[in-house]
Amino acid sequence: MVFVPSDRLIDIFALMARHERQGAKEGSLSLAAAEITNVTGAGIVLSPGDSQMTNFGTSNDVATELLELEMTLREGPYVDACAGEVAEDVDLLSSSKPRWILYTPSAIDIGARAVFSFPVRIGSIRLGALGLYRDEPGELTYEQSSDAFLMASVVARAMLALQSGSSGEDLSEELEREATFDFTIHQAAGMLSVQARMNVGDALVLLRTHAFATSRSISAMAARIINRETAYDEKSGTWYDEGDIAI
Amino acid sequence: MTRESLVVSTLVELADNLVDNFDVIDVLTFLCDRCVQAVDMDAAGVMLESPGGELQYIASSSDSMRVLELFQIQTDEGPCIDSVRGSKAIINRELRESDNRWPRFSPKAMELGFQSVHCLPMRLRGKSIGALNLFRADVGYLSDEDVLVVQGLADVATIAILQHRSLLDASTLNGQLSQALNSRIIIEQAKGIIAESLKCDMDQAFARLRTHARNHNLGLTDVARGVVAGSIRSADLDAPRARIVK
Repeated sequence: MVFVPSDRLIDIFALMARHERQGAKEGSLSLAAAEITNVTGAGIVLSPGDSQMTNFGTSNDVATELLELEMTLREGPYVDACAGEVAEDVDLLSSSKPRWILYTPSAIDIGARAVFSFPVRIGSIRLGALGLYRDEPGELTYEQSSDAFLMASVVARAMLALQSGSSGEDLSEELEREATFDFTIHQAAGMLSVQARMNVGDALVLLRTHAFATSRSISAMAARIINRETAYDEKSGTWYDEGDIAI
Repeated sequence: MTRESLVVSTLVELADNLVDNFDVIDVLTFLCDRCVQAVDMDAAGVMLESPGGELQYIASSSDSMRVLELFQIQTDEGPCIDSVRGSKAIINRELRESDNRWPRFSPKAMELGFQSVHCLPMRLRGKSIGALNLFRADVGYLSDEDVLVVQGLADVATIAILQHRSLLDASTLNGQLSQALNSRIIIEQAKGIIAESLKCDMDQAFARLRTHARNHNLGLTDVARGVVAGSIRSADLDAPRARIVK
């Protein structure tokens, strides 16, 4: 019987075991993903079904910023991969017509030159996305790309196995520990929905738009709203931004 | 289970989606081979405890190893038996012709060309489910670092087996996961709505939600859902008795 992938699979496990042992705070999955595919950085998004994207680990600060950028814009490689699309070769600098109009210039500012993304799924079940970036342009080789697919499969297994420890309705402790849930976004959306008299779904869009308009990440904007430094006035349809010139 | 073995664990539920005809025996045989290479052994084998408590031979790196594993089971004697029953590791044990501990096993192992043995229990959540045996043709010692490596591989083997035993129902779990995430999100949204409506902070908002859910014997998520949908007004939520909000 041919058993080709397992050699590489064992390499992935060995990498993860090493990072676990060293107690890396970044999370062994994203670190192993960056190493096995030999790119500058990697990030993982948890987004089962159609739920919001949750940070499931990033291998470095740039990877974290890239992920936050997408959470703000709702556009980019992770968003596409969560919807099932592979972005195997996106050179951010070269294309005259960028695939993502808002994402591309900001991603270059942050330090990425090429980005790649792979859906994390089991069969037809969508769980999230694996994202990779490089600080120089260039495509992935065939081997890198097949390693990335294999890694995405390991990530999918890991997500389900972590949740399988839970008794039922709740998120398992193990999963909570791996993921970085930013629930402040949802608290802020709740507050905004009262201020703007709209449902929370629309309030989330409003939050995202205002974050982008004021060049802030969505989590930074959420923090401002919770601290009551930013508020929406429904009667006049304007924003109050403490410390900012009126917009 | 420690965080470490956990993520090593998640690894796994191995390859049944990656490879057609995934076979747990193949994976374990592969792991035995890896152990032999990793720490310079001559043979490795895996034995598992059945739910009834008997040990079963599962996989090995060589045929002489298989003979030896089966011999241990037959005679109910040997390092693997001790390791599983005592749920502890046996490291750097030299074999002797006249061995008080394993009078039948030791001569048999030496006859097959082995001089020293190591055995690591395969444990999960404190329960021993089997053991990984390592044999060497000469007397050699495993360093602490070697033991860590082998224990890591034994952990991988453990999880491969457990996952295989209880095949995950991916779609059920995924449904659970997305439901759990969504209820968390709804609770946070409700907290935001309450905090804004009642001009309180998030902790106080959560206390309102919880108190109301308790008083009315409702689930927290159900109350939160009502708040988000607008069927429960923030002002109508019961306030905690000890600390009244506003």
